[in-house]
Amino acid sequence: MKKSFIFILIPTVILALIAYFVGGIDLVLDGLTVASKTAGQSSIMLIVSFVLIGQLNILITKEILDGWLQKFSGIKGIIISAFAGGLFPGGPYIYYPFIQSFNNKGIPFYIFIAFIMGKNVYDISRVPMEISLVDPKISLVRYLVTLPIPILIAMITRRFFQGKAMDDVFISPGEKE
Amino acid sequence: MNQTTIILSGAAIILIFVNARKSGKQVEGFKSGLKLLLNSLSLIICAFILAGMIEVLIPVEFVENWLSKGAGLKGIFLGTFGGMLLAMGPYAAFPIIGSILSAGAGWGTVVALITGWCLLGLSKAPFETAFGGIKFYVYKTLISIPFCFAAGLLAHLAQMVLV
Repeated sequence: MKKSFIFILIPTVILALIAYFVGGIDLVLDGLTVASKTAGQSSIMLIVSFVLIGQLNILITKEILDGWLQKFSGIKGIIISAFAGGLFPGGPYIYYPFIQSFNNKGIPFYIFIAFIMGKNVYDISRVPMEISLVDPKISLVRYLVTLPIPILIAMITRRFFQGKAMDDVFISPGEKE
Repeated sequence: MNQTTIILSGAAIILIFVNARKSGKQVEGFKSGLKLLLNSLSLIICAFILAGMIEVLIPVEFVENWLSKGAGLKGIFLGTFGGMLLAMGPYAAFPIIGSILSAGAGWGTVVALITGWCLLGLSKAPFETAFGGIKFYVYKTLISIPFCFAAGLLAHLAQMVLV
């Protein structure tokens, strides 16, 4: 977690400096205002979602998850994860900690990516906004042409990494904290 | 309180009852959630600040003008990377995309734009790198780019056939 924090802190400081040189202290303050507004709007949602994540972690034990993954692995697991991602409410500050919390339970990376891509592409909570603010016809075309994307990306990922967990794919043994 | 918070609260209450009846470990669940929140809090705050800086550094007018000039295959290319630059939430991004459609952009451009925003949007990058690491972010970005082009291309072909 310490490494992740340092990793995100560096670009934050760099962008704050760029904002300072581009638009002075006012632009930096604008950025901080946008950030605090988003944080303020999301604070209750964040607390509730972490309560939910905590309860889910108790309810869904490694044994239960193993059972599901054995039952719903492969293409069936990919489809279920992708649609579950699409139904999952909240922003990235909610679904990343949620799916990350299953990482130490050995969830395969392709299931992880199916969930993330499903959330990014299908996100059911965005449908009314997309229809009303863009165009219903374009929205329909967009959903139809992007429907296979999470499933295809997860299938490619499965082909590359088989059943490996995310930590085994992206974090070398020496990096594990 | 918005709709998402109400849904999440309802789900949390149901799970607390389920855990209380099933194992009596609902308090342990609270502690686990609180621990996770405290562990992630510095990351989340930093990610909010980073997303805020990205939003103020990318001028909305620049993206809007840049994409309105695009058309056809060029528009699909511009749409994909323009979507990546729309570092903002749906409430801010969709009106801009709607205005680009109204300005005369083709289906391919608009679909590539929405797909690029969904899959590559820079506002999500801080969270992706914080929770998945840089290698995960690079993998997710690289594997998504061809699919944004493909989605734009399919929409472009659909417009050619249907309109």
